[in-house]
Amino acid sequence: MNIHELLSFEKEIADLFNKGKIKAPIHLYYGNEAHLIKIFKNINRDDWVFCSWRSHYQCLLKGVPKTIIKREITNGKSISLCFPDYKIYSSAIVGGTLPIALGVAMSIKRKSKKNKVFCFIGDMTSETGIAHECIKYAINYNLPIHFVIEDNNLSVCTNTRKTWRQKKLTFEKFKNKKFITYYKYKSKYPHAGAGVRVQF
Amino acid sequence: MKYFLNLKKAMNLLSKNKKTIFIGQAVEYEGTAMRRTLHGIKQSKLLELPVAEEMQMGMTLGLALDGYIPVSIFPRWNFMMYGMNQLVNHLDKISLMSNNKFFTKMIIRTSVGSERPLHPQCQHIGDFTSSIKKMCLNIDIIRLDNPNLIIPSYKKALNRKDGKSTIIVEYGDYYNEK
Repeated sequence: MNIHELLSFEKEIADLFNKGKIKAPIHLYYGNEAHLIKIFKNINRDDWVFCSWRSHYQCLLKGVPKTIIKREITNGKSISLCFPDYKIYSSAIVGGTLPIALGVAMSIKRKSKKNKVFCFIGDMTSETGIAHECIKYAINYNLPIHFVIEDNNLSVCTNTRKTWRQKKLTFEKFKNKKFITYYKYKSKYPHAGAGVRVQF
Repeated sequence: MKYFLNLKKAMNLLSKNKKTIFIGQAVEYEGTAMRRTLHGIKQSKLLELPVAEEMQMGMTLGLALDGYIPVSIFPRWNFMMYGMNQLVNHLDKISLMSNNKFFTKMIIRTSVGSERPLHPQCQHIGDFTSSIKKMCLNIDIIRLDNPNLIIPSYKKALNRKDGKSTIIVEYGDYYNEK
């Protein structure tokens, strides 16, 4: 899966949405393709991936066939794509996946298995109490989990740094790279939808 | 007291299953009446957590996703309120979100706080059973009004094949009275 394939998938979904073919919210990625492709070079088939409401790229990169993802999206499930066969869990609730991912990581450690957990969160989520609890616990117990903070500096339309009144995110310059990857990107798509007001 | 003894027997029974793990605050350390029902269970089956109820409920779900049958302990309904996000938005919805493919069997222990001999006042004696039943349509909730219900209820929660999780509601006062 290359940058072009990722972009064209989101474009196809955007077009379907703008034509009124998807009767549910969608959340599209744009501008972070190279970051995710690089991250997924370290993610194996048996690893778990936890995502937010924006997860089409992760599903594609984890190997879920396009047709299956597209079917689920057109069935209205873009915001909570779950593919148990591919160990993918996505949720539309801010911060909700973090402790679940932590529990899977604890299980993996207790069973002495070799796979890992990757948990993708946004910048506003990374500042929540549950994120701070889970990241602290994961580091202190050396759990096989890696958090990826994807920073577009927005929660819907709210500026994360301004609302928390801090210039830098807590984990923006975090030194422990074993547990946290941070990257910044700018999307051309709005928080939800694809830019056209659709009347059903 | 039959109520307490049956709880202890039920926990012992759960602990015999290879997949179970007991998780929460005061599962390993003393400090609650529920902890006394875990005496005698191997330390390797106990996972003591800091006070972090949402994290606990989510971790319980994560452990279940990876094949455990976690027994998650919240000593009072009032304390479990912090875990409601995970309960209502995740555990209750996981079968819908995953087209019935994620299989998670959790056992959640909580209780209506005791009022005798010491009354802990309104923040410690909540009974939210009926409200949570209305909010969680895919989780089974059982109240242990009678000591004879205890062992069959925990056996049902452990052995059920329908993919549902179970909240089991105990009564703090009955530990010393029934």
